Amino acid sequence: MNRRNALSHISLLLGSTLSAPTLLAMNRRDRHERAPGGFTLTSDQRSLVATVAELIIPKTDTPGAIEAGVPAFIEMMLQDCYLQPEHQSFVAGVEQLQQAGFLSQSTADQTETLRRLEAETKELMKAYQVQQTKMGDNEDKELMKKQATGLPFWRLMKELTLLGYFTSEAGLQASFNYVPIPGKYELVKIKSGQKVYAY
Amino acid sequence: MNLNLTTDKTHRYDAIVVGSGMTGGIAAKELTQKGLRVLVIERGREVKHIEDYDTAMKAPWEIQHRDKVPVRSAEELWANNRFVGMAQDDKAGFMTNDQQNPYVEKRPFDWIRAYHTGGKSMHWGRQTYRWNPADFEANAKEGIGVDWPIRYTDLVPWYSYIEKFVGVSGQAEQLAVLPDSHFLPPMPMSPPERFFREAMKQKLNRPVTIGRVANLTQPQSWHTALGRASCQFRNKCSRGCPYGAYYSSLSGAIPAARATNRLDILHDSIAAELIYDDKTGRATGVRVINQHTLAVTDYSARIIFLNAGSMNTAALLLNSRSSRFPNGLGNDSDQVGRNIMDHHLGAGANATIEGFDEDLMYGQRPNALYIPRFRNWGSDRQTTYLRGFGYQGGASRSDWKRGVAMDGFGASFKQQMTQPGAWTIGFGGFGEVLPNPNNRMYLDPVKKDKWGVPLIVFDAAFGENEIAMRKDMMNSAAEMLDAAGFKNITGNNRQDVHLGLGIHEMGTARMGKDPKTSVLNKFNQVHDCKNVFVTDGAAMASSSCVNPSLTYMALTARAANYAVDQLTKKNL
Repeated sequence: MNRRNALSHISLLLGSTLSAPTLLAMNRRDRHERAPGGFTLTSDQRSLVATVAELIIPKTDTPGAIEAGVPAFIEMMLQDCYLQPEHQSFVAGVEQLQQAGFLSQSTADQTETLRRLEAETKELMKAYQVQQTKMGDNEDKELMKKQATGLPFWRLMKELTLLGYFTSEAGLQASFNYVPIPGKYELVKIKSGQKVYAY
Repeated sequence: MNLNLTTDKTHRYDAIVVGSGMTGGIAAKELTQKGLRVLVIERGREVKHIEDYDTAMKAPWEIQHRDKVPVRSAEELWANNRFVGMAQDDKAGFMTNDQQNPYVEKRPFDWIRAYHTGGKSMHWGRQTYRWNPADFEANAKEGIGVDWPIRYTDLVPWYSYIEKFVGVSGQAEQLAVLPDSHFLPPMPMSPPERFFREAMKQKLNRPVTIGRVANLTQPQSWHTALGRASCQFRNKCSRGCPYGAYYSSLSGAIPAARATNRLDILHDSIAAELIYDDKTGRATGVRVINQHTLAVTDYSARIIFLNAGSMNTAALLLNSRSSRFPNGLGNDSDQVGRNIMDHHLGAGANATIEGFDEDLMYGQRPNALYIPRFRNWGSDRQTTYLRGFGYQGGASRSDWKRGVAMDGFGASFKQQMTQPGAWTIGFGGFGEVLPNPNNRMYLDPVKKDKWGVPLIVFDAAFGENEIAMRKDMMNSAAEMLDAAGFKNITGNNRQDVHLGLGIHEMGTARMGKDPKTSVLNKFNQVHDCKNVFVTDGAAMASSSCVNPSLTYMALTARAANYAVDQLTKKNL
């Protein structure tokens, strides 16, 4: 059992629904990869990422992803918290959408493209999670090769969009009742339309 | 009492305490309050209570990477990072840089350290439980390890003493397996948790109680006198609490010791070895290396308390070689560094709960439920393992994070994510680990750190007893959730957990009756060097399954009381 496996289990079994960049960070040691920081997007790619983020969290009566600063957050997170496999899978996903002419599609077509991408990603995620739950020293080397494939683009986009939005000042304050100092712990009965709490 | 009237005040003290964490703080408090001039030697940086809790009041958007760990932190904190959360931006500043403080894993060992004022007490889980009488008797009854030289009754007054000082919130239950402490009011359970408690009582006759936790729910006069206030239910304890609501060495023991004006704390100072005097048969002081300048200074004292954390305390003994102790101070028995124990975790189950849709808890409770040990207890007899485990866990409503793994995006999805999701519930076991002399740490004969101190080598792993227990930890949790009628039950039993990940590492200088097989006597004195006391987790002869800090602190206060008594009688 190596370090990478150890981390994968921590992330999976402590019940977190978020993926574990820590895991990938540890992988880098094993695989002797270069330090991160080489990740960049072209201005076209930035527009595409912003468009996808806004389709995931659109502006309604509350701010959307762009207004909440999510596109820049995504790029910063990919630079700081992810390694080459995710850098590659993310850019591959962006390029795939570029080739499909995503930015010139109608909003309806863009939505349909993302629906298809979401369906395809489900299969990719199943394979990805199987990689992470396998155990044992004998399987290790093979596993490490497979894990050179990063988290799929759609999964990264969705996770970082939700994380960036619901923890941003604009997104959190608009979506929830922000209570930094609750002062007590007690039962409340939720009324319809009532904002829930964030801390 | 002033035992040290004529000495050079800069380098001579009545007592030296190595370490400022959970037990070092208590040692400093007790010894100063009894009149001794005390020097605490802390290897890490100074953290000032409240003032230095940089992230404590930050909003979610002010934490740059949120709950993700930047690659750089993951590398610098490569060991800390094995425990989820420890390397996140909001607390990484209080973790030890593992790259600069390396150790060697002959077999994997998850060593989580906190080199700064207050040590691990700054971000401990705060769960606070007494051992029961049988915990102290089990080794003798089963022929495991060595018998404890003390019994539950020896610790009772010291348990009470520490509980009152630190403040423990909890519910009295009158259970033999989990003796009650002196409690501040318990924290509430949520409706699904109360439902679960009733279901377990009726269907399995197993008690479920609210966690006993060192957070003030109703501060007493001696708490407020130290500047401590009520818990604000933010559940951001591990950033440091600006209210001093949870007990730490920083919020409690150190201010109490400082108030005596008899405490000095030396920061950035590595205790490298104890200085032993052949003529008197006593340790005369501690050799200290400055972290930054590498300057070496000797400090002397009449008594020395080792509270550096179990592994570092044992390393300090092992590194203190003399003609009398060629294998390390107090190591005639060859038990220093052996019998590493911990609590094994990462096995349990979770489920979803139907209903309770209108129920939401306001505030964040820094605590959970506790299910006391029920295995090999009372009429229960397991055939595949000895001892037992307790569960910690509870229920909560899922939030927007559920959206990551869900289908959907767009306006209605966005709206849906602002509403609470289903209730979920989960429990994980904390299992007792048996002492095994082959589970050990020792000093690397060649490799040294940048201060010239030998690296610690870990060579330890779980045994058959722990592995068998873990299966039951998973299965029993799943059975209990099933008995309560919950859905989508998923068991887990992580195979990658190593000794250390429970952050309850202990046992490397055990107490015992016989100097041939143990390191410390019944008052935590090194058998053959009576002015050295070891009162951190290293002293433990067995591990019980409950969280250990209360027992460490009680042992420390008891030993400090004895030490001062012996000094007064001129026996030391």
